[in-house]
Formats: sequence, C-alpha cells, structure tokens
Amino acid sequence: MSAALPVPVIQLFQVLTIALGSPGISGVIAKVEARLQGRRGPHVLQPYYDLAKLFRKEALAPEGASWVFLAAPLAAFTCYLTVPLLIPVLTTYGLPLGYMGDILGGGFILSLASFLVAVAASDTSSPYAQLGASRAKTFSAITEPVVLFVVFTVGLITGTDLPYALAATVRSSASQIIRPAHALAAAALFMVILSETGRIPVETHTGTNEFGMIEEARPFEHSGPYFAWLRWGSAAKQLILYTILINVFLAPWGLAASTQAGAVLLAIVALLAKASALGVVVAVIDNSFAKLRLFKITEFVSAAFLLAVLGVFTLYLGGG
Amino acid sequence: MHLAQSLPTQAPGVFTGSANVIAVLILLAEFGMLRQALLRDHIRLYMAQSALIAVLAVVVAAARHIPDLYVLAALTVALKVIVIPLLLRRLLRETDPVDAPAGGADIAGSGGLGVASTVLLAIVVAAFGFFAASRLGIRNNAAPITALSVSIAVVLVAFVLMIHRRDVVSQAIGLFSLENGISLAALVVAASLPLILEVALLFDLLLAVVVFGLLIRMHHGRARSLSTADLTRLRG
Repeated sequence: MSAALPVPVIQLFQVLTIALGSPGISGVIAKVEARLQGRRGPHVLQPYYDLAKLFRKEALAPEGASWVFLAAPLAAFTCYLTVPLLIPVLTTYGLPLGYMGDILGGGFILSLASFLVAVAASDTSSPYAQLGASRAKTFSAITEPVVLFVVFTVGLITGTDLPYALAATVRSSASQIIRPAHALAAAALFMVILSETGRIPVETHTGTNEFGMIEEARPFEHSGPYFAWLRWGSAAKQLILYTILINVFLAPWGLAASTQAGAVLLAIVALLAKASALGVVVAVIDNSFAKLRLFKITEFVSAAFLLAVLGVFTLYLGGG
Repeated sequence: MHLAQSLPTQAPGVFTGSANVIAVLILLAEFGMLRQALLRDHIRLYMAQSALIAVLAVVVAAARHIPDLYVLAALTVALKVIVIPLLLRRLLRETDPVDAPAGGADIAGSGGLGVASTVLLAIVVAAFGFFAASRLGIRNNAAPITALSVSIAVVLVAFVLMIHRRDVVSQAIGLFSLENGISLAALVVAASLPLILEVALLFDLLLAVVVFGLLIRMHHGRARSLSTADLTRLRG
C-alpha cells in the first residue's frame, strides 16, 4: 500500500519519535494528574511551549563553573538519544545499529548521562544542586542491583540479553506473559522506573519542596537553553524507560514488522498511545500514594529487589 | 500423584504455571508481613494469604479432579479467612491502648532490624530454602517443584518474621502463616492427602489460635504491653 522506507530512515524515526514525543508524554501525565486532582491543569503541549521559551532565554552560569557545567546538558541529551537506537522503539526486527549494545549497554549509556548531569551539578557551588546530585547517585546505586536482576531474568528467559529477543519471546505466546518470572521482572522494572523518573512514592515530580528533591534538584543552577536541554533530556529518559517497559516487557504489540511507511507510522502512533496509557497509570499512582520519607526509599527499593530476585529464583528452579 | 498421572486430559502447562503464580503470591504476602507496621494490616495480609491457599486448593481440585479439595478450600475460607482473623481482631481490641485506633495498635519498631535489612535477610533465607529444595532431587512431572520450593521459602521467611519481631501478635501470626506454608506444600506435593487429616490440621490451627489468644491476653495483662522484651529477665 505504501512505499518501503530505507532502514536508516526508520532508525532515525526511532530517535525522532523519542525526542519529539517525550515532552508530549510529560504533558499528558501533568494533564491527567491535574484532572484527577480536580484542576484544569496545563495544556498537553505546555512542555513544548516551556522548552521553546527556555531556548529563547539568556543562559547564565554561576561564577567559577567550568566548561563541564555548560557541556553536560547537551552531552547528557546526546546520551539519551543514543539509547533509542538500541531498543525496539518502532520495529520488531533489529535495525543495523540495534545490536551495537545490549540491555546492559543501554543501561550504561543512561548511567553515563545521569553521571554527567551529576558532575555538572556538583560543579556549581549551589548546595541544592549538589544535594540533588548526591542523592540521585545514592539512590541509583541502590536501584542498580534491581536492574541487574531484571537483566538476569531476561537472560534466563531468552538466553541472550538483547531487548529484541525478549520482546519476540513475549509476543510468541500468551503463556510467556503470565509466567511468574516475567510478571515479577516487569513489576520490579516498573518500580525502578518510578524511582528513576522521580515519581511518587520516591519524589514529587512537580513541586518546589527542596527537602524531598532528588533528580529535580540537579538542574537548579542551569538556565536558558542549558536548562531546556536538561528538561528535554529527562523527558526523553522517561519515554525511553517507558518504551523499554512497554515494548520489551508489557505489550510489545503494534510494532512495525516490515519497512512499509504505513506500518512504521502506525508503530509511532501505537507507541505514543501506549506510553500515554502508562503515563495515566503513573499519574494515578502519583495521586494515590504519599511521598516516602527519604530514608524509607530503601524499603521501596528493597521491595523491587525482592521481586526481581524471586523472578530469577523461580526461573532457576525451572518453574518460572 | 497416581491419580494425576492416569488422567489423559491434564494440561501441565496451565496448571503448573498457575500453581507457581499463586505460590509466588503467597510468598510475597509473607514478605509483605515483614514490612507491616500495623497489626490490622498484618491480619489483612494473613487473610489474603489464606484466601490464596483456598484458590490454590480450587485450582488443584480442578486440575487433578479431587473433589475433596473443594471442601478443603471452603473450610480454609471459613476458618482462616473469616473465623481466625475475627478472633484475632477481638483479642486485639481488648489489648488496645485506650488512645489507639481500634485494631490499629502500632507495632512499628518491634522488629530488631530495619525493614530493608530484614527483607534482604529474608531473601537470603528464602534463597537457602529454594536451593535446599532443588537439591532434594525431586523430579516429579505431576508436582510443580517450584511451588514446593516456594513453600519451603514461605516457612523459612515465617521463621524470620517470628524471630525478629518482639511483639507477641506478630509472632502468633508468623506461626499461623507458617502453617499456610505447610498447607501450600501439602497441596502441591500430596494433594490427595485424606481430607480428614487436612481438616484435623485446620482445627489444630484453630486450637493454636485460641491458646495463643489466651497467652497474648495473659501477657498483656501482666506486662501491659505486647512486647516480649519484658520476658528476658528470669524470676526466682
């Protein structure tokens, strides 16, 4: 029905979908959250307006900040946009660059981005940015084992650690979805994503309460275009993590199986729809739970760790 | 077992899968008890866990065509989901401090360790249970071996709960949930165990609840608290 697209173009579309779609997903979550609280809420496109405004603004750097402070936002953003090359965003088949890294490779690139932002935050002399950076590193260190065990589960199920392979396994039969190991790993990953994207019960996403801030405190000293890159980067990270959860674990359907333009277009729409649906779930969680005290976050992470470890155990015993 | 093997229309995939899922949920409920700081939630989790046992009994009954197990499921619901929680709640109402909300006596801080450390410790203990069970070398196509390992893990985690909590009610509920772990093992391994034995076990449990209830009330009457910390001193 339509022309076949060259494979590199599809690969480019993967990156563009994440880059251009991510502020929209943040907008949807903010809108739904406001609606659930009985407010009208910002327009769904508000994050785009915010970015456009920030890009027009003047950039200031604190005194004594080095080039790292200015280079980090763009470098982190580049890292975030490298990950969509590795994961099944739009297609069921691996694209040429899709095999240059596995799940761990993608994880490393995401950690590199978070490391760069943390370094930039500690380059300022602002106590809040430094506090946020140190907290973000602390908590990402304790969520790391959970991610590793989720990867082990994937490895035990598929015999590889490629995200494409797991998505194909999940698609292959319905009994793959209800097996306990898969459900446990997906639940653990979801909890990690809540923590990594700074959502309740770990962090309030939209607020100015500095005491509870983790991720949100890091770009305190950035302004103008640099702040825009950071904001855009964290929105992109959120959509990337949602994509991994949706297209690898929960619902790897609606992906393009061919290079037809129509199928790819449909896959873009399907991904954004599925990510919005997940965003609604996250917004409901945001509204139904209270933020945990900082020292209670370990309990939340230990629950996620428990789920991931049990997943590996059941698989190891051959029953998962 | 022999019954199950002689049946041609058995779907081991679905049966084993659902048995494993329920077993893992039971284990998660046990882990949930480790985290609870309110007695009310503790009892709720125990109810949920017992209800899961009943569901598993129904699943096993349907998969292996053992009608006795429907009776057992009904009895489990009647006793463990309704009667025992009611008894426990009534006991707790009497031992409540005056200013505390009904059934909401706070047992936070009764644990010897922090919640995260307890969960990590329990994971290690559960892992021991898992691998000990897999070393037993039981390879039976009719029995989901994972569910058996999970039941051993449930028993061990219940031990962790009883050991690290200082309040008597948590220890009692730990014992009752330990019994849930044993029921799970019995259902998975010896589903066709005579009904009379299982019923005897259930009423044994009821007896344990009554005895524990008396002990809790006596202890509360003497020490004016639910903690066993006062019991360490020897009296001549």
